[in-house]
Amino acid sequence: MTRLALRNLFQSRARLAISVGGVALALMLILALDAVLGWIERRVTAYIDASQADIWVSQEGVRNMHMASSSFSSSLATGVARVAGVESVTPILYLTNVVEAGAERTVAYVIGLPDGARAGMPWIIRSGRANPGRDGAVIDQGIAEASGIGLGDTVEILGEEFEVVGLSGGTGSLTNSIAFISGRDFADLLANPRVASYLLVRLGPGASAREVARRIEAQVRGVTAQTREEFAAQERRVVRDMSTDLMAIMNLVGFLIGLAVMSLTVYTATLGRRSEYGVLKALGARNRDLYLTVGVQALVSVALGLVVGLTFTLALAQIMPLLSSNMGLELRLQALGKAGAAALLFAGAAALLPIRQIRELDPALVFRRK
Amino acid sequence: MGTSTLQVIDVTRRFGSGATEVTAVRGVSLNIDPGEVVLIMGPSGSGKTTLLMMLGALLKPTEGTIRLNGQVISDLDEGQLPVVRLRQFGFVFQDFNLLSALTALENVALVAGLAGRKNGQARQKAQELLVQLGLGERLGFLPEKLSGGEKQRVAIARALVNDPAILFADEPTANLDSKIGHEIMRLLRAIAKEQGRSVVIVSHDQRIKDIADRVLWLEDGEFKEMTTMVTDPVCGMSVEKEKAAAQLEWNGSLYYFCSRGCRSEFLEQQQAEANAGAGHPKPVSEPDPAG
Repeated sequence: MTRLALRNLFQSRARLAISVGGVALALMLILALDAVLGWIERRVTAYIDASQADIWVSQEGVRNMHMASSSFSSSLATGVARVAGVESVTPILYLTNVVEAGAERTVAYVIGLPDGARAGMPWIIRSGRANPGRDGAVIDQGIAEASGIGLGDTVEILGEEFEVVGLSGGTGSLTNSIAFISGRDFADLLANPRVASYLLVRLGPGASAREVARRIEAQVRGVTAQTREEFAAQERRVVRDMSTDLMAIMNLVGFLIGLAVMSLTVYTATLGRRSEYGVLKALGARNRDLYLTVGVQALVSVALGLVVGLTFTLALAQIMPLLSSNMGLELRLQALGKAGAAALLFAGAAALLPIRQIRELDPALVFRRK
Repeated sequence: MGTSTLQVIDVTRRFGSGATEVTAVRGVSLNIDPGEVVLIMGPSGSGKTTLLMMLGALLKPTEGTIRLNGQVISDLDEGQLPVVRLRQFGFVFQDFNLLSALTALENVALVAGLAGRKNGQARQKAQELLVQLGLGERLGFLPEKLSGGEKQRVAIARALVNDPAILFADEPTANLDSKIGHEIMRLLRAIAKEQGRSVVIVSHDQRIKDIADRVLWLEDGEFKEMTTMVTDPVCGMSVEKEKAAAQLEWNGSLYYFCSRGCRSEFLEQQQAEANAGAGHPKPVSEPDPAG
């Protein structure tokens, strides 16, 4: 019966193409959406991941950067530096603001870096220098290209003009980018030179980040200390929480498209071979033999759809960065599992109606004249 | 119980109920012996197909009993009937009903596989049968590439692959030309005689009568005597001599017709052919239309 199922499937090439294409499209929607979010999540934490800080210290109760505000006296850095295991402390300033480059206005995380920063610097420099220095700014290369500006040009950040002294890589995403200016310029703009947003702590050899973070919280009042991994995880959680509803809706749309296409094609395929199933019943095939045929057809269709969908998503993941440095896809194993589960559901649900059709099929119909 | 392969005892089949009830088969009894070729004929709507479906365990009788090799099969439930059909019966259909996606070999092997044969054994058996039936060169052909006669031989091979006790053939020659149709019928007779299988054929085809051991006439759901049946020379229908709508003596022969229209048509044809004036039609004993 498996042979019959496969022959039936591949005999109607157009129907197979529609079925596989529909499933591929639906699964690609699920996979690609998750991959986009995966990429955004990674980009959102790119600065944290590449900061070289082992511990992030923030205002008490603040656990991430995105849509958060952290502010405390920079003098706390001295207290943190005294904690056993701490090798260096880099206070940074941070605000979400707009970078105006030429006619373009883009949302950016603006980072104020102190002179001689030991952490938190731009980690990839495409051209120019990493340290912005007084009146200088390092901006994302993708933003600069999109705005048509380069080194030596002027951008407006926090309402002030800065000269572009460096172009960074890996600092842009679909929604925003990261711009670096000097901590002193930043403090001047805030009119408060003794303030910091976060302290980036590097540890001495052999020190445990988790243990040192616990000590910081115990010894320095008014701060929250987290390992870099914990801080990044909090950041990702915020993005994920914000996108959960969207993900659910898009997954549902993808699922419904796939289900509709699969159900329709498996149903019409069964309907088209109704008389043949009747013949098989008349010849002595049991219902379960025929269910197997329908089931195999549905399973093979979705398996092919999954392969095609995955192939296209992988291809898209290769093509996207070529189109723009601020776009990308990151395929995640859990998304593959989700797509696989969706595919199985497609197959199962799509086979239900035809199975009912077959169950009710009267084998005596073979004696009815065509 | 006797030695009959199939025993049909007072079988009735009704459809619908109340005012819409129709009795398709009425109190039919029949014994079919091993190696016997039984031809069931009758006008359209006479109940032939309904009877065939009941004999083939595709339809349950409303009343009566059907026994296969002594075992009552008319009482079996739906879950048990597929096994009976698969192992005891073979079916040959008017439209061949081969699976279009499978080759000739696969069509036959599939049914062997359904009966539990392993793939290799099923294909071996299917190949042997197809070669025996002269289709050795057509094993890998899809049905669409086969002629009508070849398709019907594949269908016969498929019907035989599980060594059934009985073959049921529903209008097996209807879609074949007369030469191929005759070959198929000779083949079915050979199967009956050489392999000892019973063959039950339902057909309108008068030519099949030659190969049948027994011809039964079913009309209004009941068997009627076949000895009084004659064939209308125009439409080919079998009609009872005594109830023929019209008769005509022509050149010394007596013809019987199902209707006056057929008689008139016959007369016109003969007169056209006998334009030279050689023939002298002489109508005789036209029955009263009311009677």
